[in-house]
Amino acid sequence: MAVNDAFRTYEHPLFGFLGHVPGMGVGITTADIILHWGLEKSLWVFPMATSCCGIEFMATMSARFDMDQFGTFTRPTPRQCDVMVVAGTVTVKMAPRVKRLWDAMPEPKWCVAMGSCAISGDFYRDMYCVVPGVDTFIPVDVYVPGCPPAPDHVHAGMHKLAEKIHEVRAGRWSPRKDPAERSVLLQPSIPRIGDPSRDPAIDAAQLDRSLHLDTGCRLAAQK
Amino acid sequence: MPPLQPPLPDDFAELCRERFGITDLPPEGPVVPRDQLVALATALKDELGYRFFVYCAASHHPKESQCQVAWRVRRLGKGTVSAPFRVIVPDGETCPTLSGVYAGADWQEREQYDLVGVVFDGHPDLRRLMLPEDWEGHPLRKDYAIDTHQFPWR
Repeated sequence: MAVNDAFRTYEHPLFGFLGHVPGMGVGITTADIILHWGLEKSLWVFPMATSCCGIEFMATMSARFDMDQFGTFTRPTPRQCDVMVVAGTVTVKMAPRVKRLWDAMPEPKWCVAMGSCAISGDFYRDMYCVVPGVDTFIPVDVYVPGCPPAPDHVHAGMHKLAEKIHEVRAGRWSPRKDPAERSVLLQPSIPRIGDPSRDPAIDAAQLDRSLHLDTGCRLAAQK
Repeated sequence: MPPLQPPLPDDFAELCRERFGITDLPPEGPVVPRDQLVALATALKDELGYRFFVYCAASHHPKESQCQVAWRVRRLGKGTVSAPFRVIVPDGETCPTLSGVYAGADWQEREQYDLVGVVFDGHPDLRRLMLPEDWEGHPLRKDYAIDTHQFPWR
């Protein structure tokens, strides 16, 4: 008997089918497939909720948009997690803490940048205290755009991540770099105020408009 | 529609006029000489009963090359009113601290030091509050470029 009746708790038409075909109840697979199947079906999340996207992430994890049905749980410690969901603006002061928590997560690990601020800094991008995107210091696997993204967008992002893990195992996706290399901090190359590749007239106009000053003001970036 | 700023409380206006000789009493608060600030706050707290510290805020005025620091304290209970007062601090000079009078002024003045760069003379623990300890400059000053590079991300 292919399916043990003693442990059968519910009925399914496939059970009868399996019972009638010899050998169908026994599966042959590799440990690799089993492990990756487990990986992509149980993505435990470390909620790195730095600002308002975290509220939307709470809604995603709670009963109405129940993410537990996909095997995705939030854990309060990075040591038990596979995925870090960076939800919100990352400031210059917070960035070393985010990096430290990311380094505390065991391999294999993935990162989901949730919301425009985590992706690029959004309209806080040019502020003095905001990191222009979390991918300047953490390798991001899935970007979930939105301000904030709706819960179903986060669902779609986690499904994309599972799909990506599957594709990587199947060899259809170029693997990521070595973990030691990935920990290097990346410098963003964005022309900012005071950059010689920008028109100084545009710089002056921007500063005057943003500071409501008609006097020439000292540029700290031009020291 | 009521005015945005209620007029000053009568006892506070009388205190300013009679004991400190301040005649200009706008509703956003009289400008107090710096050497009389602690005396005014002590009188407000001990004699008039303004015991609740509301805020300390500072702003930078580059054309006049000065900072303005504003405080507001409140008398709680029935018929509660608040008393605002200001101090003008020219660039390069210090401002007396109120943290000896109101304990709530401690962190608020640290914040103003952090963001605007007002140095509070006699503050017990004048460190940065919001920004990292190794930050250069005070970003809410008007002459601070808004996208100044900060290592390693800016």
